[in-house]
Amino acid sequence: MKTKTFHPGDKIKLQTKTKTWEGHALESHDPEIILLKIKSGYNIGIRESEILNATIIKKSEKPTSETQTQAPNSNLPNVAIIITGGTISSRLDPKSGGVISTDKETILTIAPELKEICNPIIESPFMKSSEDMDPQDWKTIAETCEKYLNDDSISGIILTHGTDTLHYTGAALHFFIQNLNKPIALTYSQRSIDRASTDAAFNLICAAKYATSDIAEIALIGHENQDDSSCLAIPASKAKKMHTSRRDTFKPINATPIARITPNKIEILKTFNARSNSKPKIDTKFSDKIAIIKIHPGQNPSILDYYQKEGYKGIILEATGLGHVPTKESRANWIPKIKKSIQNGVTMVATAQTTYGLLNPNVYTPGRDLQKTGIIFLNETTETAYVKLGWILGHKTWNPKEKL
Amino acid sequence: MEHDYKKLGLKSGLEIHQQLDTHKLFCDCPSLLRQDEPQYEIHRTLNPVIGETGKIDRAVAHEATQNKDFTYQVYDTNCLVELDEEPPHTINQEAIKISLQIAHLLNCKIFPVTQIMRKTVTDGSNTSGFQRTALIAHDGYIEISSGKKIAIDYLMLEEDSARKTPDSKTTYKLDRLGIPLVEIATGPHMHTPEEIKEVALKIGEILRACKVKRGLGTIRQDVNISITGSKRVEIKGFQNPKMMIKTIDIEIARQEKCVKEKICKNEVRNALPDGTTEFLRPMPGAARMYPETDHPLLKIPRNLIDETKKNLPKLASQNSSYLKEFRLNDELIRLILKRNKIEEFKILAKTIPNHELIAKSLTIFPKEIAKKENKPLEEIITILNPHTLEAILEQVDKKISANDVKLILQKITQGIPLEKAMEKSDIDLKSEAQKIIKQKPNLSQGAYMGLLMQKFKGQVSGKDVSDTLKELL
Repeated sequence: MKTKTFHPGDKIKLQTKTKTWEGHALESHDPEIILLKIKSGYNIGIRESEILNATIIKKSEKPTSETQTQAPNSNLPNVAIIITGGTISSRLDPKSGGVISTDKETILTIAPELKEICNPIIESPFMKSSEDMDPQDWKTIAETCEKYLNDDSISGIILTHGTDTLHYTGAALHFFIQNLNKPIALTYSQRSIDRASTDAAFNLICAAKYATSDIAEIALIGHENQDDSSCLAIPASKAKKMHTSRRDTFKPINATPIARITPNKIEILKTFNARSNSKPKIDTKFSDKIAIIKIHPGQNPSILDYYQKEGYKGIILEATGLGHVPTKESRANWIPKIKKSIQNGVTMVATAQTTYGLLNPNVYTPGRDLQKTGIIFLNETTETAYVKLGWILGHKTWNPKEKL
Repeated sequence: MEHDYKKLGLKSGLEIHQQLDTHKLFCDCPSLLRQDEPQYEIHRTLNPVIGETGKIDRAVAHEATQNKDFTYQVYDTNCLVELDEEPPHTINQEAIKISLQIAHLLNCKIFPVTQIMRKTVTDGSNTSGFQRTALIAHDGYIEISSGKKIAIDYLMLEEDSARKTPDSKTTYKLDRLGIPLVEIATGPHMHTPEEIKEVALKIGEILRACKVKRGLGTIRQDVNISITGSKRVEIKGFQNPKMMIKTIDIEIARQEKCVKEKICKNEVRNALPDGTTEFLRPMPGAARMYPETDHPLLKIPRNLIDETKKNLPKLASQNSSYLKEFRLNDELIRLILKRNKIEEFKILAKTIPNHELIAKSLTIFPKEIAKKENKPLEEIITILNPHTLEAILEQVDKKISANDVKLILQKITQGIPLEKAMEKSDIDLKSEAQKIIKQKPNLSQGAYMGLLMQKFKGQVSGKDVSDTLKELL
């Protein structure tokens, strides 16, 4: 039976051997199955091979978008909301059944309370899942921020972003933007915005509180724990996604949060740079020739040769324990190869694969041996170390071996 | 109150919700209701969201005008799924099988492909703000005593909601959230309260033949009622089936008044213990249903449909006549049916010839052992599973005697390994009895029995002692 005469959203009638079904056709990812929303609201699947006849009752209509534009409240500060994608700005398309990016204003329907805190000014430079982003996107975000940082009518910035790589973007903004003059709040959601329980609402409210505060720092704003009671403002370069699904996925790593935020109060937890009239400077030079290698038992160090051959300028070794790699006692000694890489002009950095705790090469012999190679021990998350090294090596003068 | 139901044009349908006896629908947590203190509490806010049609559903809008802030009590038998901190795991396959069995027994047609839906609920009873539910079957029927066929419109498999704590309107326990629930919706084909009751009982019997939870709160009936000129009203929360007819009569009177005053509304009402009802919320619409995007389409394979159809459980009335063939007495039959042990009985009866002993080992013995050992019956039953019972019962008249079975079972529940528990005690009962009779002559048989049982507590069976004494006295 040829049934593909209708499109998602059309009201149709499908006749099978046993019953005639009426409902709205939905987008189906299985070509052999027709998905139908019946009157009760349930979706059912009918195998295309079982359909004897299909008729369209009514073609789908283009939804009329009714955007309510409210006059801004002149008593409230203006906050720029930069939307880039992720769970916080994707929703289910009712007509097709697929997940789509929301229109910009939808973000305000999630948390109507935003309009009691600020006048939101919404911009979306692009819409991407965070796993699809790259340093080029970080530049775009930094440049979008620059516009609002230099606009005196804007009190602060909220950036909404997917969670997977939000902490990379946070670190990138930390290095890209200097002389920051106002708050930048990075926020997210782990539960989709179609559900009443979405964490986006509370995160956005707290982000708005932060963006209208006097804290001129880039901070990641998100649930402190499983309650919708408080958010933490974590320095963006010190945050890391620590859980695949929980609301309080972002944790400060070896650092203190800047503040605890509730809808009524900002509780300061450490000293911060205050809002000022300084002129921000944007420097987005970045080298993406940076590799991350996680050290694991039995690993062959010849992987370092590969990266050098491919022209990599910097390599981060996510080292074990206090900062160790297999040494002369092991079957695959890394020390000579690391030495050689450094001699050849590759910047080598060690970070801690334990995530928590500081590196300390002085405790054990392997640590001391590794330190002698000239590797840099960096007490940052591996993600921040990656961004930091990429930013540094994006500036040619930093590398003595590279020809100017 | 007597009504002329025909003249009134009474139309009524049933929605029956039955908990299944398996772990939770979208995670591996046990379906365990807890009476003890929770491990901790979490606090959440639920916001109304725009439905698929771009409009907030009227029932959701009503709930949103109520409270938005909720407290959830969390137990160590909950996981991140109930906390709305993790996507659902793959749907419980046993729950699917049980719901297919029920669908077959109700003569339903099975959907080969269906989609798990999110039904928006913002009254706090679901941490996510929605209830997951899927259509499993459609267009079945049951036949009632008059010969009339009552249509079963739909059968859904869904997750149960969280239950309110008794002392707070905004605090819920997470123990019940996620227990698999089968919902059965009949057509509006019942025209008298007696018919409604008969259909409810009939469906209840079919459900109890399958692996469903038993006891208070495990089955919930909603009744949909309308009379000519009124609008459909759903009455929820019948605690006592005996109140059903009275409640329906009172609702009919209320609707007659509504028709007269032209104020009829589609609404959901709550049944109260005295037979009256109170307004709960407006009748929800289709606007609150949208797909669960975290779970793939549910495909029900043809072979699963066939396999469940072939191995359908029998109804209690059929089981009773089946058990009679084994010459069990009425009391044992009653106990097997009550404790839902028919499947275990069938398995054991294949290899064990002593049917009465099987029946006792499945019913009376575990209860007595639980009492003696002061342990919960569930724990005893878990230890004395059909596998263990078979290993012991097949040794009857070989290694052990029938009289020893209860004692061996008791030893096993104490943690004594099977082989050791079956070892015959080396006590020479006859000479021990003779010794005591000689030491303390002229006592009653009961007194000697007591003395011997005390001396060899847990090592000899009462039956052996009494047989020995009978022989000697």
